[in-house]
Amino acid sequence: MRNDPLGEALREVSLPVPAEAESRGLAVVEAAYAEGRKARRVAERRPALPRLAVALALAALLAALLLSPAGAAVRDWVGEVVDSEAPRPEPGLAEIPGGGRLLVESAAGPWVVQPDGSRRLLGTYEEASWSPRGLFVAVAADRTLSAVEPDGTPHWSLTAAARVRNPRWSPSGYRIAYRSGPALRVVAGDGTGDHSINPKTAPVAPAWSPFGTPELAYVNAEGQLRIAVSEKSASRSGAPPDEAGAVAGPDVRQIEWGAGGRLILEVAHRELHLQTMHLSKLEGRSEFGRRTRLEVPDGATVVDAALSPGGRVAAALTFWRHSGTHSSVVVFGPQGRKPRRLLSVPGSLGEVAWSPDGRRLLVAWPGADQWLFLPVGRGEGRAVADISTVFAPGHRAASFPRVEGWCCPR
Amino acid sequence: MGTESGAIERLAGGSAAPRQERRLVREAQQGSATAMASLYSAHWRSAYRAAYLVIHDPAAAEDVAQDAFLAAVDALDRFDRRRPFGPWLHRIVVNRALDWARREALRRRVAREESVFEPLPPPQEIGGEMIAALKELPAEQRAVVVLRHLFEYTPGEIAEMLELPRGTVNSRLRRGLDRLREAAKTELGTEVGR
Repeated sequence: MRNDPLGEALREVSLPVPAEAESRGLAVVEAAYAEGRKARRVAERRPALPRLAVALALAALLAALLLSPAGAAVRDWVGEVVDSEAPRPEPGLAEIPGGGRLLVESAAGPWVVQPDGSRRLLGTYEEASWSPRGLFVAVAADRTLSAVEPDGTPHWSLTAAARVRNPRWSPSGYRIAYRSGPALRVVAGDGTGDHSINPKTAPVAPAWSPFGTPELAYVNAEGQLRIAVSEKSASRSGAPPDEAGAVAGPDVRQIEWGAGGRLILEVAHRELHLQTMHLSKLEGRSEFGRRTRLEVPDGATVVDAALSPGGRVAAALTFWRHSGTHSSVVVFGPQGRKPRRLLSVPGSLGEVAWSPDGRRLLVAWPGADQWLFLPVGRGEGRAVADISTVFAPGHRAASFPRVEGWCCPR
Repeated sequence: MGTESGAIERLAGGSAAPRQERRLVREAQQGSATAMASLYSAHWRSAYRAAYLVIHDPAAAEDVAQDAFLAAVDALDRFDRRRPFGPWLHRIVVNRALDWARREALRRRVAREESVFEPLPPPQEIGGEMIAALKELPAEQRAVVVLRHLFEYTPGEIAEMLELPRGTVNSRLRRGLDRLREAAKTELGTEVGR
């Protein structure tokens, strides 16, 4: 642009520059560059290692499965074994297989990852959760709950009495539930009408009814699963809102209310349960039905589990020790029937998330510094390597990030 | 703390030896630390200047520029060397500067603190009033103004870089320029570019 006095001013004005900033940055960049080249050379010299190592590990694992008492339990438990080798890892995150957007929590804060793999750090928040259509993200940092756009633009913030944890946006988009210290609270999606649901709850993220109603499942201080009605008007005279029944759920540390509305998945340390729910049309609220225990082999730990977007199929990560440590990705059919092992790997797995279309699982594998994208049906899996450095460029000892959600495409 | 002025690279428009730049990128991809250092030297000042003009904090601008180069190093193997390096880097720099500005805005709002921006140099030279006026704009408008008038990207290119609708870019640019116009009249006796 010719005759642009603003451009000239921006180009010519003297700016304050920290002493030796350029040379300081060059030293850091040269070090990162040298480290990256070294890592690539090592990887190029050992191209077959991941495949070979995984194959050997799987052979050892299979022997353990077939020969040991603990293995026999696992073998009996899994009806249809369709174990496959871990996919060969691809360097870097060039795209999200299957599309959609990811919300990833790293040591630096939450990131939004676009389908093409590009990513943006939202800020120095400690937790994050998608709004139902992915238009906003609820983020928590110390005693602050905020709503921001996926590009980081802040909309509102509120300061709670105690540290904010487990924000969860309702499927209607009108409400956000969160825990502040031991208290469970709900605030409208525009940041207004913040009110208490229960002053003492267990450290478990709440789960909203998928029907868009103000019903909220949570675990109380006694470890029981409860349903509360979150409307402020339902709480008369400051008393807690009416609760729709309760059922024992000892040691529960994670709950999910399936999209069909008929199942709540309860995840405990060594147990998985499916709690059937009935919608009472006259009462306009949900009631508890039958509770089914999903089969987990003796001695195995349930690391994480998630219900499919359709709400009928559950995926779980299990971990057990026998001649080393091993982990499996298992998918349960409707009503928890026909568990099917998708993959077993040495070491431990992190968390599991369903793709928005329900066709893939994203499984975090911190020990291998990889994300695994596994098809639930037919198809090839994919693995992406160097995940920790993707979300902490330039840091040598970056911690492995946590997948908070896999959301709808924009 | 020193100062930096002028000598801004005009790589955005592709006028500064694109062939040489492609060669440097290719050599850096093939493992040449010297080529990587040359790319850094060619672009650091413009990266720092863009970061500073968006966030008005020297230390943070240094961090943003450095972080952007680290991200570039991390992604260098995947970079399509048929494309110019500058716009790719500018995109990273301005987006990260915006991230920083938003975090700061949120932190200040939550903490109810006063501005943490360091004072600008006194406006006794050409551009000083303009820079001071630029500081008063919201970070989103500053970013658009910097990309448009410092690097001379088109609104369409800016929309792509910031992942915004083109209309949003135009409206932010128009609002920003409206607010800068008075400063420009005072200082330069002329109108700012449109």
